[in-house]
Amino acid sequence: MCVMDAKLTSKMTWLQILLVIAFCFLAAFFCQHNDKLYHQTIFQVSRVENGKAVKMTDEFQNVDHYHSQMLYGKITNGKHVGKTLKIKNSYSDSHAMDHQYTKGQKLFITLHTQPRLHATVKDIKRDAPIAFLFAIAISLMFVILKLRGITVISSILINTILFWIAVKIDHTNNGSAVILIFSILAVIFCFVTLLLVMGWSKKMLVTLSAVLCATAATILITLLVFGITHEKGIYYESMQYVTQLPKPLFIAEVLIGVLGAVMDEATDIVASLATLKQERPQLSRMAIFKSGRQIGKSIMGPLINVLFFIFMAETLAMTLLYLKNGNTWHYSFSMNMSLGMTSSLISGIGIVLTVILSSVFAGLWIKGDER
Amino acid sequence: MGSITALGIVLLILMIIVGGKQGITSFLSMVVNFGILFFTIVLIAFHLPPITVTIVSSIILLSITIFWSSASDNASTTAFQASVVVVILIVVIIIPIEYWAQVGGFGLEDSEELEGLSTYVGINFTKIAIATAILSSLGAVAEAAIAIASGLDEIISQHKEIKSGQLFVDGTVIGKQIIGTAVNTLFFGFFGSSMALFIWFYGLHYTFGEILNDKIFAAELIAIVVSLIGVVTTIPVTTWIMSFKLKKLHKSQLKE
Repeated sequence: MCVMDAKLTSKMTWLQILLVIAFCFLAAFFCQHNDKLYHQTIFQVSRVENGKAVKMTDEFQNVDHYHSQMLYGKITNGKHVGKTLKIKNSYSDSHAMDHQYTKGQKLFITLHTQPRLHATVKDIKRDAPIAFLFAIAISLMFVILKLRGITVISSILINTILFWIAVKIDHTNNGSAVILIFSILAVIFCFVTLLLVMGWSKKMLVTLSAVLCATAATILITLLVFGITHEKGIYYESMQYVTQLPKPLFIAEVLIGVLGAVMDEATDIVASLATLKQERPQLSRMAIFKSGRQIGKSIMGPLINVLFFIFMAETLAMTLLYLKNGNTWHYSFSMNMSLGMTSSLISGIGIVLTVILSSVFAGLWIKGDER
Repeated sequence: MGSITALGIVLLILMIIVGGKQGITSFLSMVVNFGILFFTIVLIAFHLPPITVTIVSSIILLSITIFWSSASDNASTTAFQASVVVVILIVVIIIPIEYWAQVGGFGLEDSEELEGLSTYVGINFTKIAIATAILSSLGAVAEAAIAIASGLDEIISQHKEIKSGQLFVDGTVIGKQIIGTAVNTLFFGFFGSSMALFIWFYGLHYTFGEILNDKIFAAELIAIVVSLIGVVTTIPVTTWIMSFKLKKLHKSQLKE
């Protein structure tokens, strides 16, 4: 019986693997051939002639090579579809701001019609690899999580749409109320996500209040610390892609960034405590609080590290560039990593406060006879 | 006193209140992780091969994150083995994807920041993008591995006679519970860290196609989706290693 089961499941998995592979390649194939959906002109490279490399050295003794290449190919969409072109491109070994193009790649180009048809490359078309990766992620979720995958994916979708709406509202207000807008968004985010994960129940309400209180307390503590230390060592000018007042934007970024981790943790703690209370209804409030702290103690460390790595890893390229440009370690850190570090620390505070608050709320409000 | 130091002290105090000794260890693991991360960057700046350096330091970072957590010995060993397997899997997926999408380096949106900096530094930034994606997934993978391994370890210690097949089913159940919330941690982290970029896109009226093909957005999206793939695959990998160990244990007990 057992052997048969194993055989059946292994057959299922092989079929699943084949389906997954087919789905991923189908997604990538579609994106390779969706040029008509774009307004920008797309050019497919059919032949490349590589030129000579020139060695160059900058003022910090960094050695790089500069290459030039000639791209031959066809325009694949728009008014000039089918026309052949040759485009000159140059790139360096470091690929920091340039690309080396190869045969078969599709590129976005800017067309110039005067004096005759010629073009410059803008960027490479990236939708196929992204679709491929998404296809892997989605199919893995369905294979491993089965129906649960739908909840997870729909939660991501709903949150993305909500986030985009908030960005829209923020823009129409010229960023004047960014903290308020994203605080309201945070409340809606929490409500929707927790509803999807836990369903409408008292447990969910307890979790929701723990999450909201912990996040609010975190922001208050942060502002307090910023006030006392006069924001010494916080370089808002090093924030990237800023189009509005940086300080409120930074607070809003941290607020949204920490929310997921705080919900993750509060759900864990409240769910475990509810089960505990159900099994042993005679437990006192203090005992419930203590077990909550016990659970929280073991998950807070790894959870803080999740956000730490997300916030810090993305500063890698710029920090490296600063170091290679003859800046000191301290200056490179301050200008690139200090904001990531600050976000990680604030998130850490939020995660620890969540342990305390969700244990307290669970102790106060969860009764043994409730499901 | 700088704000970072002050925030660090607040965090340390809170962690000691909640976790006592474990709180100090958790705080230290973050500090040491930062040290290793910075050292990794310095090594890459000295022209050591970026991907090799990243893989080596990833294994060290994982061991610190996992062994300094309060999980039991059996759980943390399993979690460590599983997360190393998953990180290798991530490396295998990420290298072709990054070369295919060419998201290394900086985009047009970075122009202002790059003013006065030389970008011809002789380090391949595609490899740096691969390193970034691997590093940003580490925390999520470690967390998922610890959660599942601890859950399974608890089950084994309560039902010593459990069959490894049943353990596999239990592992998937635990995995399903944690995945919904782990995904949220990742995606909100992503929303938070790229909020300024989203506002930029909206303000400058980027079309959907432009955003999807934008270098910086694509780089961040790839990093987060790869982390997601890492977290999802951690479920079967951890469960498989745990049930393999259980099988071996049962066999050795039979021999006695």
